[in-house]
Amino acid sequence: MYRTLAGLVVAFAVALALVGLTFSSSAEGRADYVFVNGTEPKTLDPQKMTGQPEGRIADAIFEGLTFRDNETLRPVPGSAVSWETSPDGLRWEFKLRPEAVWSNGERVTAHDFVFAWKRLLAPETASEYAYLLHFVRHAEAFNTFGSQAAALGGPDGAVAKLRALVGATPSGLPVARWQAFVKEVGLTDLLTGVADPVLLPALTRATGTFSAAEASALADALEGERARRAAEHAAAVAHLGVDEGVFAPDPSTFVVELRTYTPYFLELTAFYPTFPVHRATVEARPDDWFQPGRIVTNGPFLLHRWTVNERIRLHKNPRYWGASSVSLETVDALPIENSTVAMNLYLTGSVDWSPAGYPQDLIDVVKRRPDFYGEPGMMVYYYRINCTRKPFDDPRVRIALGLAIDRQVLVEQVMRGGQVPAVTMVAPGIPAYRSPQGTLGFDVPRARALLKEAGFPDGKGFPKVALLHNTSEAHKKVAEWIADQLRRNLGVDARAVNQEWQSYQESVRRLDYDLARAGWIGDYRDPNTFLDMWITGGGNNQTGWGDAGYDRLIRLATKPLAVVEMPAAERDAFLATLKERPEAERLLAAVAAAADPKARLAAVDALRLHLFREAEAILIQDGLPVIPLYFYVVTGLVHPRVEGFHSRVRDVDGSMIPNLQDLHPFRDVRMRGPAGAPK
Amino acid sequence: MSARPTAVPVKVVGGLFVAFLAWLAARPFLGGVGGALVGALGGAAGAWRLPHRVLVRVLWTVPLFFLLIFTAVQLMFHVPGDPFASEKNTSAEVRAEQQKHYGIPEKGFAGGCKFFAAYIEKAVVDGYLGPSIKVQGRSVVDLLLPALPVSLALGLLALTIAVFLGLLLGVVAGLRPSTWVDYVAMAFAVIGISLPSFVIGSLLILGLSLTLGWLPVAGWGTFAHLILPAVALALPYAAYVARLARGGTIEVMSEDYIRTARAKGLSEQGVVLKHALRGAIVPVVSFLGPAAAGILTGSFVVETLFGIPGMGRWFVNGAINRDYYVVLGTVLIECGLVVAFNLLVDFGLAWVDPRLRGKT
Repeated sequence: MYRTLAGLVVAFAVALALVGLTFSSSAEGRADYVFVNGTEPKTLDPQKMTGQPEGRIADAIFEGLTFRDNETLRPVPGSAVSWETSPDGLRWEFKLRPEAVWSNGERVTAHDFVFAWKRLLAPETASEYAYLLHFVRHAEAFNTFGSQAAALGGPDGAVAKLRALVGATPSGLPVARWQAFVKEVGLTDLLTGVADPVLLPALTRATGTFSAAEASALADALEGERARRAAEHAAAVAHLGVDEGVFAPDPSTFVVELRTYTPYFLELTAFYPTFPVHRATVEARPDDWFQPGRIVTNGPFLLHRWTVNERIRLHKNPRYWGASSVSLETVDALPIENSTVAMNLYLTGSVDWSPAGYPQDLIDVVKRRPDFYGEPGMMVYYYRINCTRKPFDDPRVRIALGLAIDRQVLVEQVMRGGQVPAVTMVAPGIPAYRSPQGTLGFDVPRARALLKEAGFPDGKGFPKVALLHNTSEAHKKVAEWIADQLRRNLGVDARAVNQEWQSYQESVRRLDYDLARAGWIGDYRDPNTFLDMWITGGGNNQTGWGDAGYDRLIRLATKPLAVVEMPAAERDAFLATLKERPEAERLLAAVAAAADPKARLAAVDALRLHLFREAEAILIQDGLPVIPLYFYVVTGLVHPRVEGFHSRVRDVDGSMIPNLQDLHPFRDVRMRGPAGAPK
Repeated sequence: MSARPTAVPVKVVGGLFVAFLAWLAARPFLGGVGGALVGALGGAAGAWRLPHRVLVRVLWTVPLFFLLIFTAVQLMFHVPGDPFASEKNTSAEVRAEQQKHYGIPEKGFAGGCKFFAAYIEKAVVDGYLGPSIKVQGRSVVDLLLPALPVSLALGLLALTIAVFLGLLLGVVAGLRPSTWVDYVAMAFAVIGISLPSFVIGSLLILGLSLTLGWLPVAGWGTFAHLILPAVALALPYAAYVARLARGGTIEVMSEDYIRTARAKGLSEQGVVLKHALRGAIVPVVSFLGPAAAGILTGSFVVETLFGIPGMGRWFVNGAINRDYYVVLGTVLIECGLVVAFNLLVDFGLAWVDPRLRGKT
């Protein structure tokens, strides 16, 4: 018995030694600046990452052509020291900073940017952000047209299948058969951005029959579209990165050619998908080149250590060209998702910055702290409506639902965090953009009248509505409150249904829901980021809603000059479809009257924003495939000793605007005084 | 040890199998040669030293592991969602590219079978347990290996606290049933069992960290970081152990051999230490097998509450994220620990209770 006991003691000692081993890697002490980073980053590969936690690290260890100035968040020269644009705003020529080097001492060249941008667009990279650069010449073709053309062509391709289908229905192709075909081959995904006058209306056609001639024209149009995509893809492969699109005439010159004038382009050069990567490092180990010890970076900080679920430790990069202005020597990013833990760490002084780091229930207490900040964010919380399901296919029903919710009560009594009621989809704070009047104010009599018109007086006969949300206390609270509103104000029987995150996503994607909760964070400060997703068959649409007029406006907004150049009759017909025609005419006149190229660009941009405004009007006044509820607030706790942290930033005109995306580059953060519990 | 007719083949097959298991387990960390060395040594030692019934039990784990992995794979391939789902809709091309890259076939039974075959092949032939899909650039071993000692450290300390505290309370209460000592101890046990560890943990944080400032609220890095989570993890188990030990003690104290011991003139202290304690331990040891497996693989709740980089969160996050390879990695670890601890418990029982020796 005593021998066995001795064995147990030895085993215990060995185990305790193991404990010691797990500590040895952590004996580094507290970093100069410690912040709560939310979820563990999935990757630190700039072309493959999405999400804020990843972005905070990427902004610290990489540097794009520009980076965001701390006080204005506008792009200022980073890896590029200067740039010039052509008068039409389509050609950008960046001069690279000669003293910018990689962490291994090599120079950062234009070729690194060509490599990274092509990598972002290459289909094998499978980047979720590739679409961001689709306005670059050849980019969309390089990114998607190859596989689309392949799926359309060939003996098993969609074109061959459609021809077979047309052959089998000599008396005409019923639209139901056509729509089944569209679904089977996933045609909307293969025809992204299609503008063909035959194909586009056919995609959304719901009833009737295509005559034999129409059906064969449809097949011809599909073949034409395939040939066009194949040809453009071939051209993109031959020229992108070589002499067109993005290319490097010499190591210190990086040229970008845009397909359409894109005012937010420069902003994207400070956004991580466009950051350069070190080619030899990436190609040596494509899957894990970004691990500490291997990774080669060019930003103000270096990735020193990354222990999953424990911390990411950054060190100042002594080789960074602007190292003299970087104050922090070490930074720790803690992957903590639990808000209670985050708050505890903050209160004991272990953490200096904790974005959204407090339990929602404590908002009333936290709000009164001097170290709390809360500003509107570029995020909208809304419900999708499944427009393919009865009775939600009737816009009157959708509008009635939207009118029956008192958003003021929602933000003041349910959310209580300073959220802003939303009656539009585009979040406020986007430069120069004004959303159209929302028709979604709280108006119960009108909602009831609309519901009655649609055949459901006092909600009688209305089916049970399921409000789908992913499992979360906060979402549940909102869903139950909305259910209560619908019941009380419309007599509609609604209930909240939760699904775990993955199941929820799949239900939404398969259009297997009535109403489903959603949130959207703008990627860049332009209405496009909130609006282009609602085009017919758009990947993130997921409501089944489509409107040809809407699609046309979004398409024209990417090339507003097309409106200017339209033949008079066509332009007149187009203007007649607008809700605010006089304003559009005034803007068109301004473009014509512009004296110099710069004024013309500005006038075209105003016209572009108006096109978005018209599109949003269709979305929120007529179609309403979504019910916007509120705009998020960006909140957090920041220790008073942190300097260079701005929850409001200076706009172009000198006024102060909210820091919409909660961006606080560490490059310019300084510490005043030692760490400790905040007072 | 008595020779039985079946002993020799079982020894040979079992020894080979133990060698194989040791090789599989050691190879990811030590490489092919090191794994082979460990395997050969382990196999020889196993065949030579391990009793017949251990080898039989070990052999049984083979079909068990296969069945378990197969079931886990099929479940994963039938629930909605996959590792590539994202709030932003990814195009068909992106999805197909990702599926190819990570070797994930289409969902459904056939896809599950294909994945199972490929997984087993990779695990056995290459000794590779696959990549994490959600934490890119890391393999399952990269993720679980650093987390394992963290959870083991925490679990071990918690287990020690649970056993010592539980036994102390249980035996003391069992020796004086229906006295105030008993009531106090059992009141503690009831509270410990009914309060979930996140409540205990939160109370500990509130008292010892936020108010008194004695211990860190969360994080990992020093022994001080270990204390609160270990206590939070241990208390419910300690309470359970106390109740079991109390029952065991009461039962033992009414046995004839206790009276005999007393009649022989053994001191009360001697009676308790030599006899009562053994009796009290029997139910505790049976409980400790599954409990130890659970406590050592980490607790999601406690790890989250104290921000500890242990294994518990992989069990939960792996499943939530549909990170297929991580899920299977956690299944392997949990299964291995449960099997191992059940074996240990059987031998522990045989050690504390002579009546069970020779039975399996």
